Amino acid sequence: MKLAPNRRKTVWIAAAIVAANGFFPALWILFTSFKTEAELLRHPITIVPHDPTLTNYVRVFVDQPILLFLWNSLVVAGLSTALCVFVSALAAYAIVRLRIPGRNLVLSILLAVSMFPLISLMVPLFQTMRTLGWLNTYPALVFPYAVLSMPVCTLVMASFFQDIPNDLENAAMIDGCTRIGALWHVVVPLAAPGVFTAAILAFVNAWDEFLLALTLSSRVTSRTLPVGITLYQGEFAFPWPIISAALIVAIVPVCVLIAIFQERVVSGLTAGGVKG
Amino acid sequence: MKATKKYQLSKLERDERRLGFLLLAPAALLLAAVVVYPIAELLTNSLYSFRLTRPGYRFIGLENFTFALFEDDRFLHSVLNTAILIGVTVPGALVVGLGLALLANQPFTVKWPVRLGLLLPWALPLVFAGLIFRWFFDYRQGFVNWLIELAGLTPPQWLSDPRLAFVALCVAIVWKSSSFMALILLAGLQTIPKSLYEAAEVDGASRFQQFVEITLPMLKPAIVVALIFRTITAIQTFDIPYAMTNGGPGTATETMAMYIHKTTIDFLDLGYGSALATLMFLISIAATSIYLRHTRRDTGRG
Repeated sequence: MKLAPNRRKTVWIAAAIVAANGFFPALWILFTSFKTEAELLRHPITIVPHDPTLTNYVRVFVDQPILLFLWNSLVVAGLSTALCVFVSALAAYAIVRLRIPGRNLVLSILLAVSMFPLISLMVPLFQTMRTLGWLNTYPALVFPYAVLSMPVCTLVMASFFQDIPNDLENAAMIDGCTRIGALWHVVVPLAAPGVFTAAILAFVNAWDEFLLALTLSSRVTSRTLPVGITLYQGEFAFPWPIISAALIVAIVPVCVLIAIFQERVVSGLTAGGVKG
Repeated sequence: MKATKKYQLSKLERDERRLGFLLLAPAALLLAAVVVYPIAELLTNSLYSFRLTRPGYRFIGLENFTFALFEDDRFLHSVLNTAILIGVTVPGALVVGLGLALLANQPFTVKWPVRLGLLLPWALPLVFAGLIFRWFFDYRQGFVNWLIELAGLTPPQWLSDPRLAFVALCVAIVWKSSSFMALILLAGLQTIPKSLYEAAEVDGASRFQQFVEITLPMLKPAIVVALIFRTITAIQTFDIPYAMTNGGPGTATETMAMYIHKTTIDFLDLGYGSALATLMFLISIAATSIYLRHTRRDTGRG
């Protein structure tokens, strides 16, 4: 598109403001993660590290159980995403294609659940998990996380399923496929982008969750990244360079994921947000 | 012939219906286990005196509620704090989010920096945003005080002054929540037909007039949904104050969610914690029903 030079300048400035607003905090901790502790204590503060060092990363991986936190986060987010996407795909299909009575009621329930105050669930879940002896175990987080993302995932997948022509399934069924066979062989591959979008949203939600993780899984060995890193500060006197390095380690996986699939994430977020 | 056909159709219908329920069953089961049952337990416990620190589980009726609403100053203070945060950050996030959406709605040749600029704050865990902003507002090493010193002013102690701590919290919350708002509003902006603006231009309308007469009215449904959505999540504010001030100084910035968490997990008072959580549940239900009524009206119109 050809733009007048003046207009091009405003477009550039607009892009710079939006990008700076979003990137600034992440860049700040990235710079800090390469600073020495001595440089951090300097006054006035420095922006770009004067003599960059990797010690903070070494200390994060050697002195701190960050690998364990990373592993816990991966397991919890991975398992809850798989469970959530599977359950939501079935539900979305039922809502879109099968003439179930009370369809609107199901949708309303989903919306209501998505608005649910987590803190109200936290209290009884803490008690239940305690009774079951599940505190500090993976299931204590996997099941709640799967439910938390279920509304968004169901709505996103339902909107994708809707766009798949009915004829394809009918043709498959005439050729001798069962309904479920048609769902599995025809609908799911065609709806793969939708399924994938839902999976990313569920993964990010689980990766970022803090309150339940803090409550149900606070023992050091079972902490996820948000809890593990936030509770550092209680144990040491603000080792900011190390915390920055830990934050970078925790953020990078999700950043890479959304950087690669940004268009999909945006479409998923707005489908879940605008329509529901 | 006709009869069998009718029979077949309804059989097909019945099969579909059965399959539909079957496919919904796993979701319903999970909901029952993780939402319905815990809520039933929550409502029951709220009527009992039930502490893990001492034995006994005694029915006390509405005593927990009357204590919370009429005697527990710390709780009422946390409600007030939450209300202030909602009152400032929800409109704040809307204004900033609308600004970002308008800036992002330009004909960029390279789209990713802007899109990622909106996605990053969304993807950053709330509690990390709290940690980072706590440091931005640090007295000696903070970025904010660095700017203030550059401007030749005396830097304040942000997080140990009750009022300033609120300001810092609001800045962090608005930063974190405005980009998601911007994404939703941007999607709304992109559905506004260009022809409307072209027609307005022909009629000689200024840019500001176009914004007031076209953009805002066309964007209203998206704005309302975003506002309600944001309000409902703001009721539960926990992570950012937990990481930034931990409710301090004292309990000056303690939110409802933080007090409920303290009561339940630190003081192990499950009965009273349940009553407080029930109150929050009721507030959320009220807000959600407004939201549901709005979206239903929306789909009805469409």
